[in-house]
Amino acid sequence: MEIMRLVVTGPVGAGKSTFIRSVSEIEVVDTDRRATDEALLIKKRTTVAFDFGRLQFGPDMALHLYGTPGQSRFDFMWDILIQKAHAYILLVAAHRPHEFREARRIMMFMQQRSPVPMIIGLTHTDCPNAWDAANIALALGYPNPNRRPPLVTVNANETASVAQAVIALVQHTWSGSLATT
Amino acid sequence: MTVTGYLADFSLPELFQLLEQGNKTGLLTICTLTDTLTAERFNHHIWFSQGQIVAAGNALDQRGLMRLIAQRGWMGDNAVSRLAQTCQINTPLGLCLKNQGVLTAEQLKLLFYTQVMRQVCALFALPDGWFQFDPKAPTPRAEMTGLIATATDVTLAGLRALKDWNALAEKLPDPSSALVSTVEGKPSLRLNPNEWQVWEFTNGTMALADVAKQLNLPVAKAQQIAFRLIVTGLAEEMPLMATPPTSSANLIDPESLELGVASTTSSGAAPVSNSFLQNLVGFLKGKV
Repeated sequence: MEIMRLVVTGPVGAGKSTFIRSVSEIEVVDTDRRATDEALLIKKRTTVAFDFGRLQFGPDMALHLYGTPGQSRFDFMWDILIQKAHAYILLVAAHRPHEFREARRIMMFMQQRSPVPMIIGLTHTDCPNAWDAANIALALGYPNPNRRPPLVTVNANETASVAQAVIALVQHTWSGSLATT
Repeated sequence: MTVTGYLADFSLPELFQLLEQGNKTGLLTICTLTDTLTAERFNHHIWFSQGQIVAAGNALDQRGLMRLIAQRGWMGDNAVSRLAQTCQINTPLGLCLKNQGVLTAEQLKLLFYTQVMRQVCALFALPDGWFQFDPKAPTPRAEMTGLIATATDVTLAGLRALKDWNALAEKLPDPSSALVSTVEGKPSLRLNPNEWQVWEFTNGTMALADVAKQLNLPVAKAQQIAFRLIVTGLAEEMPLMATPPTSSANLIDPESLELGVASTTSSGAAPVSNSFLQNLVGFLKGKV
């Protein structure tokens, strides 16, 4: 069995669990628990372990999707996930500028532990006061548009949109693997 | 595109960093929230050119710099107005008056300090406020001395002078995080001794709480210094991995969730073939 593992990460409420649910063909295995502290203000439940989704597209080919915990104090769980990942997508809610710094922290953590390809998925871009992609990229520490990971807009509630984002991530990974061969 | 938000969500130092790194030109307006005691609100305006601060004021009437000159007693309001009309349209008023021998270079520096450094630095203490950056706003020649300051310099000066950090408390790096340098070699900014000391630990390995202990600094002070290094583009916050409780580590092994799929015990991801990727993309395209 050939398996590709993708990690879906981002701050609390960015849409990680919804993203995986929208594309997984199995009922997502989640270990949601009641959240505590500030996470409770955003979601009544938040992922304190991780979500797992699966997509089988051939007798011996499957895509596995893992969502990281929403609370940063569980960093060690992220580490286990990222070590097994082929690539990851960082979800950022475009209308929540107060979470841009948290997204940046997550990115630093991930990048330090694994060199695998990543893309940035912008969610909630249709909300009032949502920031545009260029300014979010700046806020995430990418001043040079030519030297940043691909940015895609994604509606985590729509299967087609999530599939499009996963395609972008897979193609980015693919181009990276071609470049290194 | 216009950027709007609240300082409680995206702080002024972060905003300055964004405008500088984006080489933005335009007008940043900050509107204080209504004072509960006086019911007053104030507008502050800061003009940027290519990411640098060129002027500041609390009105858009193009007379702020003239008022400052008059307040200093260097010239009357009307006299400055008349002279301003003789300036070339693209020349900053301050520079024009200097060229005419009306103001000295030292006087210009003093004006710029009062207009920009003093006014803008005071804004770092604002607990909250609504902001808008308008990239289409015209450059205000009548408000400009001709001097400029980098947003980084203003941020550094403003945060060094800041006494009450409550407004930025949530933005400070976590004491359990480390710092990692984002510049090659040593920083070109003029750091103070404490900043240099913290800078020496930007190798991504030691938690800020431990850095504080080593330097004999209060943890809050180390966090504030670290924040200055971050928003001036010298370092990034690097969360350190928490030590996993043994029982939790066993519970969350992702291999255990791979539902009957043969697992591998080696670390890292086994490479997937090109045909796998082709098939996957084809399959996903069917869902779009």
